Amino acid sequence: MKNILLNILIIFLASYALSTQAQIKSKVWYDGNARVMYDRDILTGDNLDQKDTVSTRSNGTGFSKIDLGLHFTPINEIEISSSIRLQNDFGGMWGNRNSVTLRSLSASGVINNKIRFGIGDLFLKQSKYTLYNYSQDLSHFESDVFSFYREYVNYENYYKENYWRLQGIQTNFSYNMYNIIEQIDIDAFTSRIRGAQWLGDPELLMFGGTLFIRLNEKIKIGSHYINTFEIKSSSNTDIAYYNPVFTAKFMYSDKFLDMYPLDILVEGGVSKRGWEGDGFAPETQGMFFNSTFQSKINNSNLRLNFKLVDTDFRSIGAQTRRLNYSLVPSSYAYYGNSYTQRKIGLLDIISDPDIYNQRLSTSLMDYNPIYSATLPYGDATPNRIGTEVNIEEIKITGFLKLNIDAKYFTELIGQGTTQKRHFLNGAISSKLHINKIFDISVPIIIDASAFAENIKRSGSEFERINLKTNLISSGILVGLADNLSLVCGSKLFSAVGNEYLIERNIYDQIIDYNTANFDISEMILVGGIQYYFEKDTYITMQYNHFNMLDNNILEDEFSMGRLVFMFNMNL
Amino acid sequence: MKKITILFFAFLAVLFSCEKNDIEGPSLNDLYGPLDILESFKIVGDSVDFENDEILYFTASFSKIVDWKIKIRGQTSGSIKIISGKSNFINLNNSSWEGSSTELPFFVSENCDVELSFEIHDDIFQDTLYISSAKDYNNESTVLITDFEAGFNPNFTGFFQAGCTKSLTTGGSGEGAKHLQQFGTCDWDWLIGYIDYYSNFWLNPNTLVSDPSQVYFNIMIKGDSTISIVDGVPNSLFKLEFYEDENNDGYYDASSEDRYDYEFDVNWNGWKMISINYNDVENLLAPPNNSGDGIRNPSQIYNVRTLLLANPNSGFAKADVDFLIWSIGGPILN
Repeated sequence: MKNILLNILIIFLASYALSTQAQIKSKVWYDGNARVMYDRDILTGDNLDQKDTVSTRSNGTGFSKIDLGLHFTPINEIEISSSIRLQNDFGGMWGNRNSVTLRSLSASGVINNKIRFGIGDLFLKQSKYTLYNYSQDLSHFESDVFSFYREYVNYENYYKENYWRLQGIQTNFSYNMYNIIEQIDIDAFTSRIRGAQWLGDPELLMFGGTLFIRLNEKIKIGSHYINTFEIKSSSNTDIAYYNPVFTAKFMYSDKFLDMYPLDILVEGGVSKRGWEGDGFAPETQGMFFNSTFQSKINNSNLRLNFKLVDTDFRSIGAQTRRLNYSLVPSSYAYYGNSYTQRKIGLLDIISDPDIYNQRLSTSLMDYNPIYSATLPYGDATPNRIGTEVNIEEIKITGFLKLNIDAKYFTELIGQGTTQKRHFLNGAISSKLHINKIFDISVPIIIDASAFAENIKRSGSEFERINLKTNLISSGILVGLADNLSLVCGSKLFSAVGNEYLIERNIYDQIIDYNTANFDISEMILVGGIQYYFEKDTYITMQYNHFNMLDNNILEDEFSMGRLVFMFNMNL
Repeated sequence: MKKITILFFAFLAVLFSCEKNDIEGPSLNDLYGPLDILESFKIVGDSVDFENDEILYFTASFSKIVDWKIKIRGQTSGSIKIISGKSNFINLNNSSWEGSSTELPFFVSENCDVELSFEIHDDIFQDTLYISSAKDYNNESTVLITDFEAGFNPNFTGFFQAGCTKSLTTGGSGEGAKHLQQFGTCDWDWLIGYIDYYSNFWLNPNTLVSDPSQVYFNIMIKGDSTISIVDGVPNSLFKLEFYEDENNDGYYDASSEDRYDYEFDVNWNGWKMISINYNDVENLLAPPNNSGDGIRNPSQIYNVRTLLLANPNSGFAKADVDFLIWSIGGPILN
């Protein structure tokens, strides 16, 4: 019934759009995305006949999806946007496995040419400590070979840059004063994070605002406020969650040594989090401080950052993770004769959109320290103090550029001990244009990156932690003809050492530690061809090989091949 | 610009100096650290006179919070007392012992073996202590029905089926020297036998309070845990019936006064103390089965009847009894 109504709606909207377009062309426009994907996963490995007699030897899935974005401007000040997904999963017949869904619906406009507003599906972002959707684990400095997977995962989960996709109302406006204050920018929104649930948790709402005051062309001050809270009356409960966060910012722009542009950002804030009516729940209050120095020297972007985030700092909008480790991977979720549940691995992180999260979480989500330990909750990771250095676009020669990123953090207070973890994290990436060296007409580009992370804690034997992880990623693109390229790539990951995995209760309090010894290696090899019709419109066909080996449990080694075809077109 | 830089670094200095010293979460040392004995295990108050309300306690201290257990075993009686806790020290507050038993029989004047052990560590510390006089359980907050030490009071009437046994026995008792044996096989009726313990003939007069939540009935029962081959459950079924004389006429009238019942399988071997709160509504029958006022009033109890029952098809049943006593404020063994 739902599909029939949606079909009628689409036909109506499409007819209306076409007829309107015929009359006043500028009032209707389209965009969207079309994607066709087919992949066949093949279980590989030694002694499969003995080790795994229960899993299928191969699995294939495929679909074609068209997200049709319709935009109306019935009057100059209003735009109504919707995105309707038409999906056909391969293998269906006569309407079976076909679906039509409304992917987004929103309206935006301007009141009196001054106040902008948006309602419906909104993409919202504030400070990195209030509302910010941090990128997934190990995605920094990723080779271009893997970008089609990353785009697919992000698109399916509504990850646009670092915005969270929420539903609600937003407004913003600016006011120029031309006196001691030059300009005021105000942004405010309210959003419904979670609807009412039958005999479940109450509604979860969020409202927030941003105020920026430009005093002169060099100095700007600002503030963010966000409050996430449950409406007690919307459920049969006496308990209601609340989490207000307030930050203040100071921004200064000038010239350094009269030559180099300089931007200084100083930000600090406080948070409160509790459960009203719950006598067992603690009310925690936390703070953070962040300062950033940014400049551009010899065409290289330099960024120095110092930050401190209190152990009790809680901010639902900034600490919710994309990757949800409580979900199971789509491909071969269980394998082996003992029907082992497969842990989320690097290939899943890269390519599986179903292990990602689209909802803000009221408590700290689990993370896997082998994939992300220094800042698992982004800049808002609680219990951290340290510095970060980024240098981008270091030009070595005309055909080689480097990017460097280094972090050193420690815990503010130790977990279960007075000894603190120390986190050292470094990454380097480069892109080499071979064709420029040898003056070849077709592109031959090699990109490579190396990432290393070390977690260390000293102390007695039971307190000691030493976990080292490494990821070496590389990609080669060789142009075969116009827009047709051969692509190859690899990711080699290893994690060796020990850590304590933390168990938290519903109030985020640590209640237990589980010892974990890692000796894991993962390998992803890809090779194939891709053809670009134009930017964002391409076809690619690749073969991936994936191997995950835990040297502590050799019998659980998992190997898989994947033949993947993808057509993508942004309308 | 210079002022801003100075202010910035001053702020950083303040932040670094505000470092917290606490730890987050439970202590790793308690969970994974080694156990070191900082202060050795000691007994304070050896040769204790429990009869005169003396107590003894133990001391020790450890390098971590740990689950510890002190087991005291009477060399003569075989009685066992378990004292346990979770802490990094043992002292008067968490290890005092007033002479009670965890496992029957009761302690007597005897030497005892003492053992300190830990839940996840193999370390064991052993010692011995001496009890100069055992604890007297009968005091101002108890009402003793009988301990059979002066024999079986013939005013406690009852009935046992032909071929079934009720006999006073010396030795191997739960408390003191004597107890009442009850056993037999009856293939025509569920009842093996019963005894009425009329309050007029209790060793202590009925001075129970009227608040049923404060009153506990305690009885030592020695089972043999024989399992019925018919239905796979223990053969011996024990039933308690409490008769109230609500109009104080010295007689229980089934048509106008309350009777409360409690029954259970005797599914253990050896002695065990059964303690029942008189207000235990889940197990005691309530009106309309009873015909009285429906109010449990221990001070009006006129008779306690103990019944040994068994499925006639299941064979032998046994439940010896000893030390029938009421306690006020809690079970006789805490």
